[in-house]
Amino acid sequence: MLSVLQKTIRPVQVARGVHQSAVQVLKQPGPEDTVTGSFGRFISEIQPQHLSPVVFQRSKRMVLDSIGVGLIGSTTDVFELALQHCQHMYAPDYISSVYGRRDIRLSPTLAAFVNGVATHSMDFDDTWHPATHPSGAVLPAVLALSDMMPASCKPSGLDFLLAFNVGIEIQGRLMRFSNEARNIPKRFHPPTVVGPMGSAAACARILSLNPSQCSHALAIAASLAGAPMANAATQCKPLHIGNASRLGLEAALLASRGLEASHLVLDAVAGVAGFNAFYEDYVPQPLDSPHDGHAFLLEEQDMGFKRFPAHLGMHWVADAAASVHKLLVGVGPGKVFTDQVQDILLRVPLSKYINRPFPESEHEARHSFQFNACSALLDGEVTVQSFTPAAMSRPELHALLSRVRLEHPHDNPANFNLMYGEVQVTLVGGDILRRRCDTFYGHWRNPLTIESLRKKFRSNAEVVLPSEKVERLVEVVDKLDRLGDCKDLLSQLQ
Amino acid sequence: MNWRRFIFQTPLGITESFGAAIHALSASQLTDGVINRSKRMMLDTLGVGLLGTRTAVFNKALKYSQLLTSEHRSSIWGRSEISLPPYYAAFVNGIAVHSMDFDDTWHPATHPSGAVLPALLALVETLPSRPSGLDLLLAFNVGIEVQGRLMRFSREAYNIPERFHPPSVVGVMGSAAASAKLLGLSPSQCSHALAIAASSAGAPLANAATQTKPLHIGNAARRGLEAALLAQMGLEGNPAILDMDSGLGVYYNDYSPSAMPVCASGDFRWILEDQDVAFKRIPAHLAMHWLVDAALEARAELQETAWTFDLSQIQRVTLRVPPSKYINCPLPTTEHQARHSFQFNACSALLDNKVTVASFDQARINRPALKELLSKVEMETPADNQPSFDKMYCEVQIETAQGQSCTARCNTFYGHWRKPLSQEDLVEKFSANASSVLCTEGVEGVIDVVENIEKVTEGSVLGSYLRMTSNTHEQMYLTRIL
Repeated sequence: MLSVLQKTIRPVQVARGVHQSAVQVLKQPGPEDTVTGSFGRFISEIQPQHLSPVVFQRSKRMVLDSIGVGLIGSTTDVFELALQHCQHMYAPDYISSVYGRRDIRLSPTLAAFVNGVATHSMDFDDTWHPATHPSGAVLPAVLALSDMMPASCKPSGLDFLLAFNVGIEIQGRLMRFSNEARNIPKRFHPPTVVGPMGSAAACARILSLNPSQCSHALAIAASLAGAPMANAATQCKPLHIGNASRLGLEAALLASRGLEASHLVLDAVAGVAGFNAFYEDYVPQPLDSPHDGHAFLLEEQDMGFKRFPAHLGMHWVADAAASVHKLLVGVGPGKVFTDQVQDILLRVPLSKYINRPFPESEHEARHSFQFNACSALLDGEVTVQSFTPAAMSRPELHALLSRVRLEHPHDNPANFNLMYGEVQVTLVGGDILRRRCDTFYGHWRNPLTIESLRKKFRSNAEVVLPSEKVERLVEVVDKLDRLGDCKDLLSQLQ
Repeated sequence: MNWRRFIFQTPLGITESFGAAIHALSASQLTDGVINRSKRMMLDTLGVGLLGTRTAVFNKALKYSQLLTSEHRSSIWGRSEISLPPYYAAFVNGIAVHSMDFDDTWHPATHPSGAVLPALLALVETLPSRPSGLDLLLAFNVGIEVQGRLMRFSREAYNIPERFHPPSVVGVMGSAAASAKLLGLSPSQCSHALAIAASSAGAPLANAATQTKPLHIGNAARRGLEAALLAQMGLEGNPAILDMDSGLGVYYNDYSPSAMPVCASGDFRWILEDQDVAFKRIPAHLAMHWLVDAALEARAELQETAWTFDLSQIQRVTLRVPPSKYINCPLPTTEHQARHSFQFNACSALLDNKVTVASFDQARINRPALKELLSKVEMETPADNQPSFDKMYCEVQIETAQGQSCTARCNTFYGHWRKPLSQEDLVEKFSANASSVLCTEGVEGVIDVVENIEKVTEGSVLGSYLRMTSNTHEQMYLTRIL
């Protein structure tokens, strides 16, 4: 970063006897020289033609999945609580849609908030590498903002999709500033760190802010970022995505009104922490100007979509346990008898917040290797229904849970790109059944087919929308880049 | 039901002890010393906030908040015509309080009152239970106490910050605690309010010395209020949020929490009793206060010893200060930078023989004479000058072309907790600030209500005085700003 500072001296300097260290600080970096400035420029200047076909395709899959997950999430307790809160505490502003609620609209930031909560309420939303849940932080904000724009100048489908991708891209770029980000998190929940930044970027884009305003939007969002991991696996976790979405939107709106913040927030300045406050190691890189073309990260690193609503780590053990279940019941539709099972050993990475032998709430159950393995062992799969109170309190499930042990092999790192899940069941007769999953179906290395993705979407969306709207949504998202006006999308969500 | 506790009979976790304390602390435990100090804090905060409603940052936040709502409920300080839902009232009023860096500072370092009072006043105007002045005072002190306790969990907190801006870490927790208290939440709900608030904590220091810094206090106030309201509706977070390194501990490099004492009845030792706050005489970062006092003293000395002293004779000004990057700004261009610049504050003091609210006007910042003086400043950070508001000092040495040299040092500025402002001076600061927007009846009404707050039956009466603008002020301001 030192080299960045050696640019032109500010013209206002009065030259007599200036102390040496003061000279260095006087040479303030202009926006073109800073990492922060390069991000502002990118957000402002990137164009639809910079989106490649692969990025189009992948991002549309993300949009579809995110909406479906949000729609089913609108049936959860936490969603209902957040919605009531917003309705009681704020005015009935009939502006932005709430997923799956025909008769309710809220002011834009609150709509972004509740829809974000819905999206993450069941831990059913997409996951990327390095780890975060990128779409839930961005899509609700972009939808809410689009609802806010006057009917005569709503964004086109292409503008919408571009802004969405800007929001995803910014998150990906920021996470690459730190090695710490590559592993399953321990300190700050990643969606709360990069999520607001992605939301701010996407919204700044929709608002067509200039480069400087885009930088300030990021800086304002940084002051709203960061929540501790301890609230993961609690009812509060969905608010992490809800807040990321609304606070990023808010940051962009404040920037559009001229609010200014640090122009060095992404750069690493010794003694004054900016965005690096959230990381132990931090090496920022500027974003190249998009004029010569831009390779979006989504091109090289696809998204993981979940097949059931639980923390990503659960998918490995569930797939492995499902294979063992098949062995146990043979070819026919048999049942697993728990008294056959003497011992269950799970070989998984070391990560405290997803190691819960006896989860007591649905939130804990979604973050429990033990619970997901045993559910899959018993039922052959984990589904939305696996987390209902009835399913969670089954005696046969508890019988299995009490026989589980965990091991953390050294070759199994807490990293979504490298981990595996192994399930080893010892039967009462002495037989040992073992299955290992390296890449679950839905992981970026083994992506869901478009049929599987649409099936997931339909199954989610049909819980709250009539099938005509569900089908229309599938169609509209598929054609999003060719849509003249995104209101065709906005009108189908309720 | 928590089967683990049932089986193992563990004592109250730290987080639970906080929830229990917030719930159980009662007015009878407020001591005279605490009542006195906290009323001074309330008065100062209100004055500073009223003055701050004339700033650009406040107006941007207000315009923004009005965009999004139509049903109005809580007062905006210094505005007779506008009110907002409590969340946004807390936001904008909090911004007003910190907009000029004029609000109180504590040790370990944070700005405690701005994060708490705006939330409480916004809430008190909407509660059907109509809390009394005493309820308000108690809740205020709960919010301050919790902040003080949390900062003592880390040695890092004792020094001038480098990573997270402290009001963004403990301020939101204090606001949640105070709001939870006023709402009468159960111990468990109080704990969850803290947990939810923790997920709203932490803003990086890089936004200090910018226009966004005041939002750190505004956000702390509103997000703490929101956390309490969500907890009231049953939202739950991690019940061990204060106990865990992956909880509040994420904001600190060293973290060693301890429980609040059980306080069902009987004496409670408030931190405010042992550790007072500092009130500012200048709307600038606290460290500037040492420097200005030293600069004024050195200047006076020079004026006395040199018969024909004039500023152009100054050849060099050496400042000996504690090391801290974000308040070292040789050539500030904005008011926000100027409030965080050792160099600027020293030179203003030397040039004008005082530093006041007006010193930070753009015209004053741009003065050629000031810039000339700034070019003669050198900074030193002596090894014995620690970046801690409890231990630092500032020294100013002026050398003239004629070979004279005067040095003055300030160890404790007037207004610091070791040398508190007299009640007269505190009230005078309030009056000067409040008169910029309120009519005399409003100014005197606030002074009277705060002075006697424990006897006031309806806490919301304070809000009505805060809206008593002098019409000419409001109109004049509106024309200026637009």
